[in-house]
Formats: sequence, C-alpha cells, structure tokens
Amino acid sequence: MKKVVIYTLSTCPWCMRAKKFFREHDIPFESIEYDKADDDTKKAIKDDCLAHNSEMSFPFVKIDDDVVVGYNPTKYLKLLES
Amino acid sequence: MDSGKRKEKLREMFSKVVDPLGYKFSPDTELVDFLLEQEVKIEKEKGSPFCPCQGLTGDRESDMKLVCPCIPFHREHYDAMKRCWCGLYVHKDVEDPDSLMQISLQEFLESKNKECLSWE
Repeated sequence: MKKVVIYTLSTCPWCMRAKKFFREHDIPFESIEYDKADDDTKKAIKDDCLAHNSEMSFPFVKIDDDVVVGYNPTKYLKLLES
Repeated sequence: MDSGKRKEKLREMFSKVVDPLGYKFSPDTELVDFLLEQEVKIEKEKGSPFCPCQGLTGDRESDMKLVCPCIPFHREHYDAMKRCWCGLYVHKDVEDPDSLMQISLQEFLESKNKECLSWE
C-alpha cells in the first residue's frame, strides 16, 4: 500500500475534506498540522513544501513520491491506483 | 470587539474590496462562515487575517501577501481557478463553487508556459 502523508493547517476546510476522503476510502495516512507543529517540524514541512511549490498552500498531500497540492480527490485516486 | 462582531466587520470590509476585483463571496455560505471565523481567530493570534489555507513562512514580505483578501497578489492564478485558494471568494459569474478545483501554483505556471509556447 502506498504511504500517504498530509500536511494540513488547523484552519483549512480543504485539509479537513482531504483527510475525510482518505478516511472514507479506508486509506491509512499520517497528517501533521503545520500551524500547530513545533519549530523543527515546521521547518521540515516548510522545506518539503517549498521544494515542490513556490508557495505554502495546503492541503499538501504526499502519496509515496508524488505530491498533490490542494484538495483533488480525482488526482488522489489516480495516484493511489497507479 | 467580540468574535461574532469582528466576523461581520470583516465580511463588510472584504466585500467592498473584492467587488471591484470582479469577485464575490462564495455562494457556499457555510464555507464562508467557517473561513471568516478562522480568519478572526488567526487575526487574534497573528495580528492580521491571513488566509486560513496558506502557511506563513516567517518572511514578512511574503506573509503579507497572504492577508485576506489576497487576490491582488495572486491575480492570474486565482483568475484561472475562478476562485481564491481557500474558496472564500469566487468570480462574480460563478454559481456552483463545487465545480471549481484548486490548481496548484506549479500546475498553473506549467499550463501558462505551455500556452505561451503554443503561441510561438
């Protein structure tokens, strides 16, 4: 099974929808709230996000080595099935 | 000012700012209420109503570009989506906000570059 990691913000409704999507599809995932994280975790997330994107937009969904920035169930499914 | 009053004040202020930009509040009133409530919380904590769906980096110049309504700093990108990143605002002609997808900045820039190349 592919590894799913989701970076989120506690204030972001699209992050909540992304997590709901993975829960409803019984896909295990790890999620980390950027705005509630400690400084070291924040820095690691920031570096990861900026390496893929020039902005810090959430949700930031990693499916193995692929990344989807934003709430996009179609893309999540495509990557999970590929 | 209590949170409810501040939320209504932000709604009133933002409405005046986004109207001349060709945007309006999303017809999804539940989403709008939730996002405005988050912005009130963020403003209390951080001093400004930053976008609830974009992370602050600590770099003041780039963070200030995320103060709501952040449309002027992301105009081309948001126009392509017909919405802002968090979906608080949509183009005035949008009636079904659920039909609009978030397009990452990277994807937007890539599609823009492809368009430019096809014109050459």
